[in-house]
Amino acid sequence: MSEGHEILEVSGLSVDYMLPQGSGADIRAVDDVSFTVDRGEFLGIVGESGCGKSTLLFAVAQLLAPPAHLAAGTVKFKGANLVGLTDRQLSAIRWCDLSVVMQSAMNALNPVKSIGAQFKDALQAHGKPSKEEIAARSAAVMRMVGIDPVHLKSYPHQLSGGMRQRSMIAMAMLFTPDLIIMDEPTSALDVVAQRALMLQIKELQQTYGFAVIFVTHDMSLISHFSDRLMVMYAGQIDELGATRTIFARPLHPYTQGLLEAFPSIHGPRVPLKGIPGNPPDLALIPSGCRFHPRCPHAVERCTVTAPDLYPVDGDLVRCLRRQDGSLSSREEGSLSR
Amino acid sequence: MDDVSFSIGEHEIVALAGESGSGKSTIARVLARIYQPTSGQVYFEGKPLSAIRSRRDGLRYASLVPMVFQDPFASINPVFRAQHGVLRILKLHRPELSAKQRLDEAARVFGVVGLGADMLQRFPYELSGGQRQRVGFAQALAMRPKLILADEPVSMLDVSIRIGLLNLMAKLRDEEGVSILYITHDIASARYVADRLIVMYAGQIAESGPIEEVLTAPKHPYTQLLLSAVPDPMAPLSQVTDRGEPPKVVDPAPGCRFRWRCPLAIEQCSAVTPALAEVRPNHEVACHVAQTGAEVRAFAS
Repeated sequence: MSEGHEILEVSGLSVDYMLPQGSGADIRAVDDVSFTVDRGEFLGIVGESGCGKSTLLFAVAQLLAPPAHLAAGTVKFKGANLVGLTDRQLSAIRWCDLSVVMQSAMNALNPVKSIGAQFKDALQAHGKPSKEEIAARSAAVMRMVGIDPVHLKSYPHQLSGGMRQRSMIAMAMLFTPDLIIMDEPTSALDVVAQRALMLQIKELQQTYGFAVIFVTHDMSLISHFSDRLMVMYAGQIDELGATRTIFARPLHPYTQGLLEAFPSIHGPRVPLKGIPGNPPDLALIPSGCRFHPRCPHAVERCTVTAPDLYPVDGDLVRCLRRQDGSLSSREEGSLSR
Repeated sequence: MDDVSFSIGEHEIVALAGESGSGKSTIARVLARIYQPTSGQVYFEGKPLSAIRSRRDGLRYASLVPMVFQDPFASINPVFRAQHGVLRILKLHRPELSAKQRLDEAARVFGVVGLGADMLQRFPYELSGGQRQRVGFAQALAMRPKLILADEPVSMLDVSIRIGLLNLMAKLRDEEGVSILYITHDIASARYVADRLIVMYAGQIAESGPIEEVLTAPKHPYTQLLLSAVPDPMAPLSQVTDRGEPPKVVDPAPGCRFRWRCPLAIEQCSAVTPALAEVRPNHEVACHVAQTGAEVRAFAS
């Protein structure tokens, strides 16, 4: 990756949730996260609920509200640090260069305004377009996502879940931004609508060349769509690498567990174990490696030494036993599958 | 829900799959006697539900056919300890037990669903989503049920703990002899636990049969579409182009409800509503094209 291709560079980002005075230390929901996104790249972020993935997105988009606050780190978007900018400075960037598609389109759209009126609001907030320009651009983005522009007159409740989600994406594309951040945009949809929306996002991305950060808890959903994959656990990056490599050869025991937790509709019906235990409470983070209480490969030093992100075979992996190569393939084979 | 007929055997997990709005939950609610069917009849152990008149019979049926809900965060009362629901159920449905026996029985059902005895005294906020859903199953189990209606019991849970709940459902079938109606939109998880699969589309049954057979040789175009849309990281990406929307089912006209999205629709499909008919033993399909015996390949998976 040569410099200049990076559109977003996040380094050392940490987010704390402040607790009332006297009720203990602040809770660190995102801990020292660094990554980059290239122009036109599709980065998938996966993790379970409470792993900090949504908090991370909010921090990147500078949307954190108390009690969450950015404790450390920088977010460089097109070379400029977004951290510390005022709302006025940020509003010039929001929608135009960077837009966010929220998790639930049912709640993110205003129920008492038509879709067209909401598009108009966004367009007028960033310039003084004429009526004709507004109508033309609104109709154009609706066509891009495959919705008939007559629905600009519709209210959110008149659209199906899939159409609402697609109109949110249309709205995010009003100014053809360079980066669209999507927080589980498909989680409320059934599989058929999900697949259709994913194909649509990929198609739009190829046509217009924007970069996407896509957050989901469903690893199999993005297996065919993302270029790179970032696996988060308890506020940290556990594994970061090319999507296909991670699916073919997951290195972190947590990633392996996630991949094996999915039953398949093909092949033999094998009993699965899933990952024992529960994700940790961020107020009571285990010592050493945060995954060790649930890890089938944990050894004594995993309970003491907190691992860094180590480069292993071209990926980044937060695992002590991967770093020194002591996790042999024989041991893995006996435990997985 | 329109003209739906199916049966659930003993010691059987039947999966009910379909997109949102296809009538899956309505079926569960009719079986739980929350909704009255407009027409038709439900038979439980050979007796029609409409014959239940007295409160005692109603309670008895409710205890034999309990429900487990989708949202473990909303279905347990947050101000009472985890054992509260089980104890109340035991008091109501098994009045012969003494207070001591109720506590013992609560500990037993907690044990069966994989919760330690220390969990009895916890408050719901102290439990994880998976543990809460296990409490839901423990409550159902306390009634010594014959059939558990499980409406999307794992869809709100994290992927790493979903498998544990699915394994629990299989254990309840194998060791406790309970049948389960497993309502889901996740076909892969249905395949993991269920014996039979019923696919719903727009309030009607599109296809039903032994799960392996339906998944390996789906006959209804909608089942094929559903299967082709299941994300599978190990398989190459299928390019399904369907962008259709499920139809509105307010006052539907005759004809197959899937015909607008079906690439194989023939003239008959817009005139006559296809009825379920057996194409192979125990494998039923509501599709005019499949019933002619022609090979159906609407969407490749």
